[in-house]
Formats: sequence, structure tokens, C-alpha cells
Amino acid sequence: MEAVTNNVYHDKVVIRLIQFSIVWALAAMGAGVYISAELIWPGIDFGQFWLSFGRLRPLHTNGIIFGFGVSALMATAFYSVQRTSHVPLFAPKLAWFCCYAWQLLVLTGGLSLLAGWNTSKEYAELEWPFDIVIAVIWVCFGVVFFGTIATRKIKPIYISNWFYGALIIVIAMLHIVNNLAIPVSIGKSYSLYAGAQDAVVQWWYGHNAVGFLLTGGFLGMMYYFLPKHAERPIWSYRLSVVAFWAFTYSYIWAGPHHLHYNSIPEWVQSLGMVMSIVLLAPSWATLINGVMTVSTAWEKLRTDPALKFIVLSLAFYGLATFEGPMMSLRSVNVVSHFTDWTIGHVHSGALGWNAMITYGTFYFMVPRLVGRELHSVRLANIHFWLALAGTMLYIVSMWAAGVSQGLLWLSVDNIGELSFSFKDIMASMAPYYGLRLVAGLIFLSGTALMAFNLFMTLKGQHATRVSVPAVDPAYGVS
Amino acid sequence: MGTEIYSHLLIRSLYQPIDAFQELAKVEPSPMGVLFRYTIWLLLLPPIFSLIGAANFGWRLGADEPLLLPTNSLVLISIGYFLALVFGLITTAIISSWMAATYGASANFGKHVALITIVGEPLAIASVIHLFPDVFVNLLVLIPTMMWSMYLLYKGVPIVLDTPPERGMLMASSLVGWLLVAAVSLLGLSMALWTLGVGPLLGV
Repeated sequence: MEAVTNNVYHDKVVIRLIQFSIVWALAAMGAGVYISAELIWPGIDFGQFWLSFGRLRPLHTNGIIFGFGVSALMATAFYSVQRTSHVPLFAPKLAWFCCYAWQLLVLTGGLSLLAGWNTSKEYAELEWPFDIVIAVIWVCFGVVFFGTIATRKIKPIYISNWFYGALIIVIAMLHIVNNLAIPVSIGKSYSLYAGAQDAVVQWWYGHNAVGFLLTGGFLGMMYYFLPKHAERPIWSYRLSVVAFWAFTYSYIWAGPHHLHYNSIPEWVQSLGMVMSIVLLAPSWATLINGVMTVSTAWEKLRTDPALKFIVLSLAFYGLATFEGPMMSLRSVNVVSHFTDWTIGHVHSGALGWNAMITYGTFYFMVPRLVGRELHSVRLANIHFWLALAGTMLYIVSMWAAGVSQGLLWLSVDNIGELSFSFKDIMASMAPYYGLRLVAGLIFLSGTALMAFNLFMTLKGQHATRVSVPAVDPAYGVS
Repeated sequence: MGTEIYSHLLIRSLYQPIDAFQELAKVEPSPMGVLFRYTIWLLLLPPIFSLIGAANFGWRLGADEPLLLPTNSLVLISIGYFLALVFGLITTAIISSWMAATYGASANFGKHVALITIVGEPLAIASVIHLFPDVFVNLLVLIPTMMWSMYLLYKGVPIVLDTPPERGMLMASSLVGWLLVAAVSLLGLSMALWTLGVGPLLGV
């Protein structure tokens, strides 16, 4: 571990978190590719429970969100909060604790999912012992992050820190409230809520995990690394602040759109739908801010392969944040719900936005962290095209599959009976799942190229010592 | 600088797109001329192919039974399809010329209409696959065509609109963002219309 000094940033922990994040990306995307193959050839679980779709699917989602996503968010939050506060990390040993404890949690939690421990709450599948550990590590993450902000030497709190701060506070609140449960054994608990209330709390959690982790957290990444890449200030700082508060206020209401036509009051569904439409405004305010910031920095594209990932991630962010409100409309949702369109929508966000912006950020950070050039710009460019092709193929195949499913299982004949059986419809989806499998393999191979490229960049190198710069007295904490 | 584009430019763009783009860069065509002499005719192809295919064979969405709709319903859907394509192309050209100031590109509206027409042309031609109305087969043909169209967009923007390749890449990516949103809007609009009773009989 690096020596604790007062004027050098703590970057070793950042490098370690990036490495873990990439390992989880490969493992969890690999699991995703495997389960997509299982939907075509169900026999490849070889009769093993732990290889079955029901157990590998939560491993895939938890591995991506908590392994790949949260490790990347911790890495980028630790990197950027030091540089925007002009101080080294507060409690660096606690930061190292967060780093390793989180990886241990993802590993053991993943194994528990394979063993069949599952709360059955989507994206909150981990059982109660893991939930307690998550809460403890998350509070430690908050102590390091807010401690660094509290000891900052520069007066303004930069916008990326507001988003990372919202991520930490809101996820803590959602996680604790949604996971309140009565344990009956070490591997089994029952939710404190029942029936419709349980569903409402679950999707208040589920949708806002998407909102504050996969959107808000990664917007924090965007607001720091995009201007850094572009070497330009954010196009409109005022707009970024307005967008932050509008985003924070409106996102928290949108959860009930996951429960259209369910046994919750209709006005709650309508509220969720209306707030989802309102959400379009702050989402696109941020989109415009990002696009306009990068539009003046086009010369950077000549020398910086990573900027392309961030530019494209904004296009997919625009798609996903438009598609979501549209799918929350009841007249669209009646067709799209329970179909593969939803899976396509999630992946336009997860692959096109989250993964692309993270890849762009890693390509930016890693060479700077060790003070050397990227091992291969050519490989990074190949990765870019693989990521784009994989994402497009995934989305389009799931659009077609989803719309077909929605129409087929809502089709009725002249006497009002269903025209097609559910089983027959699902059996006819194999060709689309084949396309999706190819898309997943293309995307995964791009990620493997990045892993190799960054491994070669890091090989034998140590973190460069970056000193804290002097603060302009006009902006200093008095 | 000429004001006319000729039909050979559209044909050439299919096999020598870079040369066609360079040729287009030298002219400042009238937007209405391009629209009514070339674009509209290309945009008629997908709805016509779709109408013929669906009326004769019915769309196969994956199940064994094809989805057969009454002819008047199909005509209505095809007219809607055509209007959506015209609306999509014109709004894309308007957005593209609006973006031009940000990316230092040519603001000549006729060039934008011509460029978007050339980018969309392979898709309009490949829509001949609508004559075989099986969703998966259509997907197999239209996905590679869509990738080709995206390639044309990324290559065409800097050449036709006279902006550096890096700046053109940013503009093309912004247009891709818009086109993705437009595509999903079309999907959402179709779903909403279907649930309101236009199209297949749904149990909603």
C-alpha cells in the first residue's frame, strides 16, 4: 500500500478497482452469453442446478451491476473526487477496505446465487447476510467519499460529485428499505412487506437502482471524464445543476411503471407513467450538455481513441432515456411488457451507455495512472467497432423478437380466444436468440480485447505519484 | 457550382459511394427538386413491397400461422408507413442542417436532403425483402443493410458537407442518436396504434 502523505493522490486503489471491474465484466458477460445460448439449447445446463438459467441469470445481472458497474463507479469516484477537491482520499485505508471487501462480497454473493440462495427480488436477489455486508461497505464508501469532500481545499463542489453523492445516499436508502426482511435461516428470509406493497417497494428500488446507479452514477463519470477528455469546460454548468435536481426529484417516482396492469391502484400506475415522461427533460438536458461539450473538441478525436466510446455512449444514452419513458406509456407497455423488447431496452442502456462510457473512461485513465501510452490504439479502435456492432445487433434482434412476442400473444381470433399458445411462440424465438448470442459474443470479444490491451499497458508499471496542485485563492476554502 | 443532381449519382452511390459523395459535394441541389424527383419514389418502395407481401402471404412473426389482415387495414398501415418514412427523412434532413452550424458543415438544405436520401437508399432497395414477409428473414437482410447505411452516413457527412473527418464523425454520431430515437418512436407509435385497434386484432 502507498505511503500516506498529505499531497499525493491515492491512485493505487483506483487501479486495483479498475482491474477487478474488468474481471467481473468478463465473467458476468460470459455468464450472459452462456444463458443466451441456453435459451436456444436448453440442454447445455447438463442437468446441473448451478448451471441452470434460473441461477446463472441473477449471477449475470448482479455480476454486471455490482461487480463491473460498482467497481468502476468506486474507481472513478475515488479518482475524480480527489482531483475535484484538491486533497488526497480521506481515510485511504477505508478505501482499500471498500475495494477488497466489495470484491469478496461479489464473489461470495455470486456463489450463493449459484447455490440457489435467492430472495426472488430482481436486482436484489442476494440474501440477508449479504445485504447487511453491502450496507456496511456502502457506508464506508460514503465515509471515504464525503470525508474527502468535507476536507476539500476548493470551495465549489463540482457537479460530478453531486451525482456520485446522490448515488451513495439514494442507493443506501433503497437497499436498506427494500431488503428489510425476517430471516428464517442463514440462506432464507421473507420480505417485511406483503403483496402489492412488496411489489411497489421492490420496483421503487428496482427502477431507482437503474436511475441512481446505472444512470446517476455513470452521469457522475460523464461529467468528470468527458470535459477532461475534451479539455473543455462543461458546455453549460448551470444546465448541469438544473438537470441534477430535476433528475433527482423526478426519478424517484417512476418505479410503478414496472407494474402496469397489475394489482396496484391505477392512479399509482398513472403517476409512475407521468413522472417517467417528465424524466425525459432532465435526461436530455444532460445529453445536450454532453454533446455540446464534445462538439467543440473534435480535434481530440485524432489522438484519443477513447473519446469515440464516450461520444457513442451519449447516442445510446439518448436512445435508452427516450425509449424508457415511451415504454412506460400504458398503450405501449401492454405490448412490450414481459417481452424481449424490455431485454433489448435494458441492454441499449447497459451495453450502449454504461459499458461504452466505462470503456472510454478506462482507456483514458489507465495510461495516465501509470504514465505510459496505451499498449495498442489499433486494438482500441477494433474494440470500438466490435462494441458498436454487438450493441446494434443485440438491440435490433430484441426489438424484432419483442414486438413479435407482444403481438402474437395478444392476438385473438374471431371468438375471442388466443390465436397462439405461449409455448409455440417461445419455441419460434430461437432464430432471434441466435442473433442475440452472436451479438453477445461480439461484444464480449471486444471487452476481452480491452482487457488484454489494458493488461499490457499496466504490466510491470506502478502508479505514478500525482501531487495535489495549488488551489487558486479565489476558489479556496476560507 | 451546379444545382442539379442526376439519377446516375444515386445509382453510383450504390457501388462507388465515395466518388458519388465527392460529386455531390460539388453541387448545391434544390431540396424540393431532390425530394420530388428522387426521394419520394424511393420512399414509396418499402410500403408498396410491404403491402404486396402482407396481402398475399401475411406476416410471419414466428408462429406457424401467418398474420393475415383485411386489405383496407393493410392499405391504411402502408399509407401510415409511407407518411412516417417521409416525415422521418424530412425531419432528419432538417435536424442535420440544424446541426451543421455546430459542426462547421455546409448548411445547404438540398445537400442534406440528398445525403440522407443516399444514406437511406440501400434500405429502401433492400425493403424488397418485404415481399417475403417473415420478420426474421427481413431482419437478416435489413441488419447488414442498416450497417452499410451507417457506414455511408459516417463516410458521407464529412465529404458532402465539407467538414473535417473528426468533426463529421461527431455529427454522424449525433445523427445516429437521432435516428435510433426515431426508429424506436416508430416502433412505439405502431404499438400504440395497434392497441387502439389499427392493425392485428389484439386482446386488449
